[in-house]
Amino acid sequence: MEAQALQFFISSAVAAGFGIAIAAFGCGIGQGLGLKSAVEGIARNPEASGKVTVTMLIGLAMIESLCIYALVVSLILIYAHPQATAIAALFGAGH
Amino acid sequence: MKTKETDDNIQQRLIRFVTLTNWILLVLSCVAGFVFFPSDFARGILFGGLIVTINFHMLARTLKNALTPPYIASHNFILARYYIRFVISGVIIFFLIANHYVNPIGLFIGLSVVVASIMLATLMEIKNLFLKEAI
Repeated sequence: MEAQALQFFISSAVAAGFGIAIAAFGCGIGQGLGLKSAVEGIARNPEASGKVTVTMLIGLAMIESLCIYALVVSLILIYAHPQATAIAALFGAGH
Repeated sequence: MKTKETDDNIQQRLIRFVTLTNWILLVLSCVAGFVFFPSDFARGILFGGLIVTINFHMLARTLKNALTPPYIASHNFILARYYIRFVISGVIIFFLIANHYVNPIGLFIGLSVVVASIMLATLMEIKNLFLKEAI
């Protein structure tokens, strides 16, 4: 039974790793596309840099928050799983 | 000419609204957390809100330095600031969760302060748009 408990915690760690990796991949692509378009826009029309920067700031903040959410979920899975104690007890680990 | 001025006003109005609403939402959610919920939940709201709000202001300053001509900061400086900000946020969140200092749900609510204020700003703009069309 302890092996099953160990398997559960290994699965949590793997899920956390894949979760943050996929989130960082998606957020990186999103931020890169936004930044690319903003820089192109400013290069063509430098007078519009203020407007472009504000719009991009809001977009980047939204995208970045998604990545921070994924980081928090991954850390919870590894360090603060809400059911960790219950599952360890269920499988008889720690006795 | 008038359209250009209106566009400028929209951008400035949005950023002012989001900046102000960030702090208002943070204070309101903290007060609600400390009054109605356990202390670890309230601490989660407080730290999450502070992290994300300070991050937003620092991101604004970094982008302003990076993209506003004619005085554009160097690439190295911008990259260094970006990564330092990101690493500090990650380390703080790591220690908060790993040491069980905050409730994860409270932290989530705190981290959603900026997203909520941006959503509110969007709703306000949509409302203004429909009101203008109605007139």
